[in-house]
Amino acid sequence: MANLNIRNKQERTYQAIVVGSGASGGWAAKEFGDLGVKTLLLERGRDVKHIKDYPTTNMLPYEFKHRGKLPQAVLDENPIVAKCYAFGEDSEHFFAKDAEQPYIQEKPFDWIKGYQVGGKSLLWARQVQRWSDYDFEGPARDGFAVDWPIRYKDMAPWYSHVEKFAGVSGNRDGIDTLPDGEFLPAYDLNIVEKHFAQKMKDVYGDRHMISSRCAHIHEPRPEFTAQGRASCQNRNLCQRGCPFGGYFSSNSSTIPWALKSGNVTLRPDSVVHSVIYDDEKGKATGVRVIDAHTKEVEEFYADVIFINAAAINSNAILMNSTSARFPNGLGNDSGVLGKYFAFHNYRAGVSASYDGFMEYTTSGGRPTSGYIPRFRNVKKQETDFLRGYAGGFSAYRGGGYVADARVGMDLKNSMLNKTPPDGPWRVGSHMMGETIPKESNYIALDKDKLDPYGLPTLKFNVAYDDNDEKMIIDYQEQISEMFSKAGFTDISVRDDHRVPGLDIHEMGGVRMGKDPKTSMLNGNHQLHAVPNVYVTDGASMTSTSTQNPTLTYMAFAARAAHHAVNESKKG
Amino acid sequence: MNRRIALRHLALISGGLAFIPSCDFSSDDILAAYENLKVTASQKQLLGAISDTIIPAGELKGALELEVPDFILVMVNDCMNTENQMLFSAGLTAFPDFTKNTAGKKFDQLSTKEKEDLIQTGIDLKPAETPEGEKDKAVSYFLNTTKRLTMQGYMASEYIQTEVIPYSLIPGPYNGSALISEIQKSRING
Repeated sequence: MANLNIRNKQERTYQAIVVGSGASGGWAAKEFGDLGVKTLLLERGRDVKHIKDYPTTNMLPYEFKHRGKLPQAVLDENPIVAKCYAFGEDSEHFFAKDAEQPYIQEKPFDWIKGYQVGGKSLLWARQVQRWSDYDFEGPARDGFAVDWPIRYKDMAPWYSHVEKFAGVSGNRDGIDTLPDGEFLPAYDLNIVEKHFAQKMKDVYGDRHMISSRCAHIHEPRPEFTAQGRASCQNRNLCQRGCPFGGYFSSNSSTIPWALKSGNVTLRPDSVVHSVIYDDEKGKATGVRVIDAHTKEVEEFYADVIFINAAAINSNAILMNSTSARFPNGLGNDSGVLGKYFAFHNYRAGVSASYDGFMEYTTSGGRPTSGYIPRFRNVKKQETDFLRGYAGGFSAYRGGGYVADARVGMDLKNSMLNKTPPDGPWRVGSHMMGETIPKESNYIALDKDKLDPYGLPTLKFNVAYDDNDEKMIIDYQEQISEMFSKAGFTDISVRDDHRVPGLDIHEMGGVRMGKDPKTSMLNGNHQLHAVPNVYVTDGASMTSTSTQNPTLTYMAFAARAAHHAVNESKKG
Repeated sequence: MNRRIALRHLALISGGLAFIPSCDFSSDDILAAYENLKVTASQKQLLGAISDTIIPAGELKGALELEVPDFILVMVNDCMNTENQMLFSAGLTAFPDFTKNTAGKKFDQLSTKEKEDLIQTGIDLKPAETPEGEKDKAVSYFLNTTKRLTMQGYMASEYIQTEVIPYSLIPGPYNGSALISEIQKSRING
């Protein structure tokens, strides 16, 4: 690899470098732009401009050659990403294909990646629940991982800050486990979902089912118009990129905003090799970048480096950033880098029927559904496993054509005239379980096997444990009981035995903590040993709790960016 | 933003549905499918006749007029694994014998009702675990696949989704307690 640092060093020097343009990196760039910090935003993938680069967004079903289905050859070439529910003919261009970055599965792990400007913020499920102190205090109370160096009061203003700009719809439910935020009007629950919510209140008191808070604009506001975003149109085609900017993505929101500030330079096709550490100065001075097309290496310099490459790649970059001072990875004095890696347990589900409200159905669309906040082991330890789970919940009514109608005019008329729903409502829940970070769940580099960019290959040693298995059983039992008490029948439970990773909630490896001996980052997201390097994505998670994590990463990034600017003012 | 997207976008914002020429299969895709699956001219014709029996023309167009057989072959060629492609081809090849043995005539000599009966019989076949059953298995797989893809290709056609049951990219706000009695649609006669 030629090292072509021919351009003047001055031209390649910024005040801040942000590595990664997904949800968290986009937020760091936006804050730096607003605060007048000259920033280089690096993205390993290609540029995806809002609207212009959403090629399928307004396509009609018959315009897809295979009506949404992917060709067998694509599935055969991509056995891992093909498992993702959102990977389809309308969205495959936003997923990194398996060959882009091979990795070693010492234990099975499905790694789903979005390599383009905006990252996975184009593909996410857009569910945004705040953490509470029941989550931040979890490790300290229950004796696992290490204590979080922050609490809800540290994050609350930053949750508000990002919610107001991103647009979050929800009810002020007044539930202590799931703090209320800066909400736009919520999306409605349907008649059966409301019935279930009421029953849970009546029967249990402390079990709830709410309209899941989601990052969709449900009411126009000047702050969204200023971003060029309009209200969500309930299309449910989010994975194509939204031409209205109805849901939050870096592409529709933070990145164009950051670029408009004039302070932020976006550089796509830039695969970060490592962070440059200067032994003499005792700090990081920049990053080495591999051009995705020419494979040439170039260096960029800045006073502050933000690593927001998504959890796994943020780990990999630090591991690959070795120097005399840090032979085992940047800031890795503790030896915990890559360890205590965790995820969310999505294996289980429960479904059932309900034969009430038979005269009703639903119409139109909505971008969210119901959410059951964690109720297990919240106020005290109740079970023989640690922590608990949240649940998704939704009710829907079938109907449609009679597929077994006799071929000929019977079948034709049956298809053209969908039968009104006549069967019962169907209800379903899926599990979102907290997993316990532990040293034996880790990712590491194999420096003997190189990827197409010449970078060390990642190897995964991440697995479920007994705590997860017990939690699955408890989820199935508790939700079944709740369904039964709501009058649902025909209850069936499932465990799809998916391997870790498909939840796409990978977390940890660069955990926060108070003690540099047992953690990588301090309470401000700075590497203990290299305070001008911040990590504010999933890698920084000390524990996982049960909430969809992206909102928390966004708030982390905004908070840390302000911290970095305040530090620099102190000189 | 290119013109096509701009037009569509405008149409969406104004709440309407734009009629913009769609990209359909290129003739190359169709030719590739015929070549890879080794479909003869007479088999192509037969597949057309079968799909048009499954969804015949009436007051509204049928499967053949909407070129559903081309869709079926492209889907079989692109979206099926080799094993299933071979089963499909075996079923297509075995179909004339199945017709003769079951109905006593060639397919094109049957009445509409007889064609429907024959296809329905093939769809409902319960193949035995015998060498003869292998053929039945292929015929049954071929007919069930053809039926499924005919239904999909027909309903997800530009004709149905623009002229008969217009598809909207914007489904309207959610109503979580809609009375079924109030959302009945008028009947469409095929």
